[in-house]
Amino acid sequence: MPKMSGFARFLRRVRAGQQFSLIITLVLVFIFMSVANGRKFVSFYNMAAMAYQLPVIGLLAIGMMISELSGGINLSIIANANLNGIVIYLVLDLLTGGKMAEASLPFIAAAVIAGFLTSVVVGLFNGLMITKLNIPAILVTLGSMTLLQGVNLVLTKGYTISGFPARLIFIGNGSVAGVPAPIILFAIVIVITNFILNRSSFGLKLYMAGANPRASKFSSVDVTRTIILEYILSACFASLTSLVMIGQMNSVKANYAESYLLVAVLASFLGGVNPNGGFGKLSGMVLAVVILQLISTGLNLMRLDPFMITAMWGAIIIIILVVRETAAFIINKINQQKAV
Amino acid sequence: MNIFMKLFKKRETLLAFFIAVSVVVIASFSDNFLSYDNITNILKSFTVTGIFSIGVLLVIISGGMDVSFTAIAQVTQYIVVYVLLNFLTGNIYIAFVLAIASGIVMGLLNGILIYHYKMPAIIITIATQNMFYGIMYVITRGKLLYEVPSFFWEFADAKIFAVINQNGAFTGLSVVTVLWFVMALIFAIILRYTILGRSVYLIGCSQTAAERVGVNIRNTILFIYGVAGAIAAVGSIVHVSIVQTVIPNSIVGQEMQVIAAVVLGGASISGGKGSVLGTVLGVLLFAILSNSLTLLRISSYWYNVFIGSIIIGSVTINALREIRQRKHIVRVNVAE
Repeated sequence: MPKMSGFARFLRRVRAGQQFSLIITLVLVFIFMSVANGRKFVSFYNMAAMAYQLPVIGLLAIGMMISELSGGINLSIIANANLNGIVIYLVLDLLTGGKMAEASLPFIAAAVIAGFLTSVVVGLFNGLMITKLNIPAILVTLGSMTLLQGVNLVLTKGYTISGFPARLIFIGNGSVAGVPAPIILFAIVIVITNFILNRSSFGLKLYMAGANPRASKFSSVDVTRTIILEYILSACFASLTSLVMIGQMNSVKANYAESYLLVAVLASFLGGVNPNGGFGKLSGMVLAVVILQLISTGLNLMRLDPFMITAMWGAIIIIILVVRETAAFIINKINQQKAV
Repeated sequence: MNIFMKLFKKRETLLAFFIAVSVVVIASFSDNFLSYDNITNILKSFTVTGIFSIGVLLVIISGGMDVSFTAIAQVTQYIVVYVLLNFLTGNIYIAFVLAIASGIVMGLLNGILIYHYKMPAIIITIATQNMFYGIMYVITRGKLLYEVPSFFWEFADAKIFAVINQNGAFTGLSVVTVLWFVMALIFAIILRYTILGRSVYLIGCSQTAAERVGVNIRNTILFIYGVAGAIAAVGSIVHVSIVQTVIPNSIVGQEMQVIAAVVLGGASISGGKGSVLGTVLGVLLFAILSNSLTLLRISSYWYNVFIGSIIIGSVTINALREIRQRKHIVRVNVAE
């Protein structure tokens, strides 16, 4: 057998995987947006802008995907991210006595860790309620979402709080050798998440627990522990998102990015995550997030009404659904005819 | 004794008990609470939530989920008032007929998508919510409609059992509240005594079993979501009658509050469980508690903390009961 070139091998692997249709969609969306917007879309400036925006929705979407791997959902992820930012503000404010902008590095580290621990507690709470009390994830996280939104509002009194130290803002707003810092963070997070989901025993247990909880219980997988860890991991993504968001908005508020909840659900849906659990690949998620970012930036450049974009997100879910089901139906028919 | 124990174990009794306790506690703090004025006002201001909750209950019993009802209500409200302002001179009955037609159309769209594509109802209804709401906002440009035809507020102002209070104004049970209770009664009867109603519960318990018994799944699901849309539409007309202005973002965002009230009323989100009486009591408890926040002068910032705690509290009670019941079943088996 002649040795295949690297590219040919890559192509074959791509075609064999489930991500083929997503890559085609990505290319089509890119071509469409480039034609519709011309130079503005393919410019370096626009690409850099997208690289700053993508990590927020990317981190939220991966956090959402992780919660869906066991057949659950984490509706509280955005409220959790906002709470994380508010806790960072409160701790910084307390440590520096109101002069948050001049905080030293140890203080910043302490505040970030405090925020992180808050998120872990929220994740732990969600996980415990879901596993120990056997309550559907959607109800638990609906409750914790509403509760956290309330807590955020009580803590900030509805004000927007700005004036964070420059070192902290750097995570969401800075750049290293011309490359936006948040996209570097996002890349590192993807590598680590890839390891956790696809190479570690926890990842294997998580997929198993999602696909068939009873079978995995009999294979001596501690399902309860796995799902609690899953929700803590999902909350960690809320914590990371909060760090990037503080930099981009240069502030915290009780209800930032609430409209991203739908986009995060949409991304996991587009990325092929099965909402009933057990199936969903990180690579699919990353592709889906890139596609959504291209669509969102492209529509913005076309000066569409923001509410039109809201309507489009809804329409896209339904279009994907109809196309997917119709394609499956046709393929099924063809296979049946072949069998006859 | 047996009947007594049975009553004691019912969710509705528990709710009635909680309502009684909170009424006593709040009344001891505030003299105003038990006045005829305040009671009828609480009922009137929670009528819209009450009407919405009947539709949500129907969907939740069938094992589904609907978060798009607020968008359906919002769109319906705008269409009906716009038509009545510009094309038709009507009355409140024509408003209701138009609203119900519009609500059924949007509800059926939900039903068709949910039945044919077998996706979780929550994903579909999140999608349709954004679609309905977004399209309405784009077309109307978010413009408010200030001058609502007069028959709307005449409808909301009508009272029965009216008396004259100390200030010389009429006070009494609002007709819209009566409408809520009548609708609750009708749906309680449908759910309890008709084959259609029983098949809604059956679908919620097990679709496969329902199919084997001979329930037409497709028609039942279309019925559920169509009616849920119609109920949302009726709620929207009551809403505009009370508020007297069409504000394009005044209903969307309330869905969590309504779902919370239904869950508080004992409906199980995994389907097959729930009653209209429980839901009405759930809404009433909700109304009393949130009115007490106002009477006790607690800042409105705490409102969401309060709703969230209620959701978490009530699902925890549900869960603990279920766990206890399961233990009981195991014990019986061992005894045998």
